Amino acid sequence: MKILNQIENFFGTLSKRLTKHPIVPFLIFGFVIASIGFLPHTGFIRWGTMGIYAYIVIFTVVAMGLNLLLGFSGLISLGTAGFVGAGALGLGVFMNMGIPFEIAALLVLIIAGSIGALIGLFSLKVEGIYLAIATLFVGEILRQIYTQVEIFGGQAIRIGTVRFLGFINLSMINQTQRSFLFLIITILMVLMMIIMHNIVKSKTGRALMAISRSQHAAQAMGISLLKYRLTAFILATLFATFGGIMYGLYFQNVPTTAWTLDLSLFVIAMVVVGGLKSIYGTFLGVFIIHGVPNLWLKNVFGDISYIFSGILIILVIIFYPYGFIYIWYDLKKIYFKYKARWSKKKVTDHE
Amino acid sequence: MSKPILVLDNVCMYFGGLKAVDNLSFTVNEGEIVGLIGPNGAGKTTVFNCITQFYKEYTGDIYFINNDVKKDLRDIKVTEIINQGLVRTFQNVELIPDLSILDNLLIGAHNQYETGIISHILRTKKAREEEQVLKEKAYEILKFLNIFELKDFYVKGQPYGVMKKIEIARTLMSNPKMIILDEPAAGLNDRETDELENLIYEIKKKFNTTILLIEHDMGFVMNICDRIVAINFGKFLAMDTPKNIQKNKDVQEAYLGSDA
Repeated sequence: MKILNQIENFFGTLSKRLTKHPIVPFLIFGFVIASIGFLPHTGFIRWGTMGIYAYIVIFTVVAMGLNLLLGFSGLISLGTAGFVGAGALGLGVFMNMGIPFEIAALLVLIIAGSIGALIGLFSLKVEGIYLAIATLFVGEILRQIYTQVEIFGGQAIRIGTVRFLGFINLSMINQTQRSFLFLIITILMVLMMIIMHNIVKSKTGRALMAISRSQHAAQAMGISLLKYRLTAFILATLFATFGGIMYGLYFQNVPTTAWTLDLSLFVIAMVVVGGLKSIYGTFLGVFIIHGVPNLWLKNVFGDISYIFSGILIILVIIFYPYGFIYIWYDLKKIYFKYKARWSKKKVTDHE
Repeated sequence: MSKPILVLDNVCMYFGGLKAVDNLSFTVNEGEIVGLIGPNGAGKTTVFNCITQFYKEYTGDIYFINNDVKKDLRDIKVTEIINQGLVRTFQNVELIPDLSILDNLLIGAHNQYETGIISHILRTKKAREEEQVLKEKAYEILKFLNIFELKDFYVKGQPYGVMKKIEIARTLMSNPKMIILDEPAAGLNDRETDELENLIYEIKKKFNTTILLIEHDMGFVMNICDRIVAINFGKFLAMDTPKNIQKNKDVQEAYLGSDA
């Protein structure tokens, strides 16, 4: 009996510690998503839809970056697509020069990060709608560069097989290898989620919220507007560029014309629909904006599916203006209400 | 004799052609509770904004003396003021509504973090320990103010009295030598005002700080302050003990109008 108790205690404390640790939910979430990559082998989903799931995973990272900007720091950027393109195309250009994947990725991140810092400096001079316009043209400049400058040449940059970590060749064309590529981008997404979680729960996250909610209080508490606006822009660009690198890694063929304002606006929609300031909400937003129309609605409604996805988004915004993720709190409320009612009933029955 | 901690010397502040503060000079001594009173639009908040360097365009000098080091506050950036041991609250509570009360307090300790963003991302042992130490400190302050049970709730939706308390709690996080309170009792009911009165005494005793406050509630000011500065239209009227201020002709005139 004693031993049994001890074992129970051990598992009790273990499970308590595990469920309490903040990164555990992210790992479980990542595990579930990664399993999608292996489902086509079982015939449960079609190979053709894998790309859509990959796109969702990639744009979750991109949208998280924008969420840091829009949700936490109250700043806006309409140039997100440009930076995703910078990540994907930059990776392609460097890799075609013969630079290994990891080093090319690092180079792209450094370059894009410095451009982000530059925009951050701009953002101190302009506010609100003017900042939106400034970033709009940054995105436009980047788009023009991709389509006009010769090194990005033509319609698309082919990356081809990626030699990952220097010992394993992964190609999009091979089905098993594609599953592994999906696994890798899921791991990267979970990694970025944990990074995001750690940032927003730290001093930096609080400072970002302070500069957007109350500049006076922020300054009186010693939070420099300059420093944290720069931080916000650099982080957002790094997340977007990282998403671009994931795009290059998975799709291995990067179009030069895809990085338009449309895409930037869709990323904003993902953040707003999913949930400002929420990590899972960001994923949910990407799923609603990109996943739902492409996975389901298109099969049912064909070409007019975008009308339905438009209506869906409007409904979500009407009922959940702070993001669809807040449905979770409503569900919780309902659960506790019924639980309370049920336990009351039990008590009265007992009497 | 008590030592001066804050010295205003001929401070003037103009908004365009309007003289908001006009040749104002007064001194606050260490360990005092000083009230700044005056009719509406007398320039009280402007004085506070000058002291905390939100306005830099004033003329004259403002000195802050901490540990016998006299510093001209004009040379210090607004975000560095808190590091000098000088911290303020705002007339309309300036809190972060969608952060928990605990997180709002931790914002007050922003400058006490030594670890950077990289160690926060990696959650290194040092970063976690540092966070824990500051959290404990926040718990202590919250317990002191009797709002410990609310620590995990959002600021949004809290009653006004609690928000005022949170703002005071946030100032205490920075180990202040001097706290500047902008209308701490505004919007509070009588019971809350009495509680605040005790609280300010306790803060002064426990944290060993000097307090400068603006307040319209005359009963509150007369009870709590060691000395009172009265101003009108930015001009200095008098600085004296509450009793003498009540008898002062100029002050009576400013509030009630003259006989003539």
